[in-house]
Amino acid sequence: MRRFVQLVLLVLIGLALLHASLFTDLYLRYVKPGMRPMLIASGALLLVLGAAEAWSYRRRSGGGARHGDRDDHHDPDGDPATHDHDSAPAAHDHGHDHSGTPRVAWLLLLPALSLLFYAPPTLGAYTASRAEPQAVAKVPEREGFDPLPATSPLPMTLTDFTERVQQDRKQAIKGRSVQLTGFVTPDGAGDSWDLTRIIFSCCAADARSVKVRVHGSTALPANTWVTVTGTWHPGGTLGTSSAGAALDAVAVKKIERPFNAYLDALPPAPR
Amino acid sequence: MTARGAGWSVVVPATAMFDANNQGVGMQKTDERNEEAEAALADAVARDDTSVRGRPSSWGLLLVAAAVVPGTVLFVVGRFLEEPALQAWRTVCLAITVQAMPFLLLGTALSGAINAFVPARVFTRVLPRRPALAVPVAGIAGVVLPGCECASVPVASSLIGRGVTPAAAFAFLLSAPAINPVVLTATAVAFPGSPAMVLARLLASLATAALMGWLWLWLGRAEWLRPSVRHTGHRPGHSRWTEFRLGFQHDFLHAGGFLVVGAMAAATFNVAVPRSVLDTFSGSPWLSVLFLAALAIVLAVCSEADAFVAASLTGFSPVARLAFLVVGPMVDLKLIALQAGTFGRAFAVRFSAATTVVAVVCSVLIGGVLL
Repeated sequence: MRRFVQLVLLVLIGLALLHASLFTDLYLRYVKPGMRPMLIASGALLLVLGAAEAWSYRRRSGGGARHGDRDDHHDPDGDPATHDHDSAPAAHDHGHDHSGTPRVAWLLLLPALSLLFYAPPTLGAYTASRAEPQAVAKVPEREGFDPLPATSPLPMTLTDFTERVQQDRKQAIKGRSVQLTGFVTPDGAGDSWDLTRIIFSCCAADARSVKVRVHGSTALPANTWVTVTGTWHPGGTLGTSSAGAALDAVAVKKIERPFNAYLDALPPAPR
Repeated sequence: MTARGAGWSVVVPATAMFDANNQGVGMQKTDERNEEAEAALADAVARDDTSVRGRPSSWGLLLVAAAVVPGTVLFVVGRFLEEPALQAWRTVCLAITVQAMPFLLLGTALSGAINAFVPARVFTRVLPRRPALAVPVAGIAGVVLPGCECASVPVASSLIGRGVTPAAAFAFLLSAPAINPVVLTATAVAFPGSPAMVLARLLASLATAALMGWLWLWLGRAEWLRPSVRHTGHRPGHSRWTEFRLGFQHDFLHAGGFLVVGAMAAATFNVAVPRSVLDTFSGSPWLSVLFLAALAIVLAVCSEADAFVAASLTGFSPVARLAFLVVGPMVDLKLIALQAGTFGRAFAVRFSAATTVVAVVCSVLIGGVLL
């Protein structure tokens, strides 16, 4: 039975990885798009391992007690004639005798079943509301900012907007109508809320959030994806770090959740 | 809005008796009320259940309770799982596991292959005779065992069993999980744009491994050690491929289980610990180094995945994160357990304590120069 458990574990994890990466886009909730080929390969490899295990399992149980078929360091459960190849019983504790399933391996069932049947959602308002505001990277002084395109309203990413507000000394953003996309993170007090994006550099464990405060519109339920059109909400000196990344909303429009939610991307083109 | 309106009208009967005039509450609040009502119902049912136990004649009630209670429990547990904090925990937990899984597979496959196809006596032949020289060579030889720390303990034990001087075997044990190509690649992936972190990890880990080897030559006593002669590597009598497959499979399941433990601990830390605590420690350079070193011991993340955890600790200085990366593969809870099982408790306690100190000092010195 112990080897049967190993077989089940291998197949379940393999299926879970394939399910999350090959058949669905679940993996985008947890890791970067670039991980997809590696996840598919891992899932396939695990299934191959499982198949090999099943084959040897069947051969052994089918072959009965033919001694030559039974490699001596993998004992079928309950077989009184098991071969004691490790002289010290203590050797079984930490398991490089390769017999039996390490007890800790049972824990692999949790992520496997979770991926297969009950995958948790992308990180959202809860995480964002607890994270400290992420400082935007300093744009090198000599490179400066290009002039803003004349489009109005101008689609921008939250990071771009924050940089423009806090670092562009020419104050090009002043009076411009801009369009930003993110999800809603309500703030308990007051009539303003945060337009939020969660981004990470490796996996969802190192998530950071970019936020732009939105004034003049009541908050929709948390995690609703919206495109907000508006102008900079005055506060502090524009072009310095004292300026708040905030927006006076003119229009708030609900949108579909983007395909990859962990990108600080431009608002989707209107259809 | 119409959908929400419909939802409202459905749940109103359940909540009306709680708060009839509060029309403005959102869906979420309503749901919570609903849940309270359910919980109250569950209580009532439970009370019924106990009263029934006295009178076994009323099978009907018992049946109803049997039908209702599991459903209610499932419902409440389901609601509990929908809590945003728990959702975030599960997401982070899965993210670490999924991200690390391909690396773990690669590492255990290679370590299984080396175990099955490269006889351990090759290592004996390659090493210099003089122990003091063998230590750094064995440390560098750690490059060839791409695996996580769980794989290196049994290999080191078998090396000692085949006549390698313990000091060299320990240098190998410490360096192998930290400096092999898989781990260094993972580190480079986790810290994009900062190759200095990869170099610092390599150097600090090598330095720690060599220092610990020499320290063993100087102070180590054979009686702390309980080497059990073990069979790793190829044994006559069955196919190398079978051996490879079974070693790979076992190591993967074993390390994978520990990976899940590490992911859960890391996720708990990630979600539950208030940011202010992190700030207290990340503010002071010395405390942050010690704090992350302690964290590495407690979290026990596999060395193939720990770089990603370190990358997530954004509030900390690079030196502190380096300490996390150097200490993690050498000392952690699961390693102490593995070593105690393999070499004996007297050894594991002394060795782990000394390694922690040496690793922290090395990462502070090398990190201070490079990062």
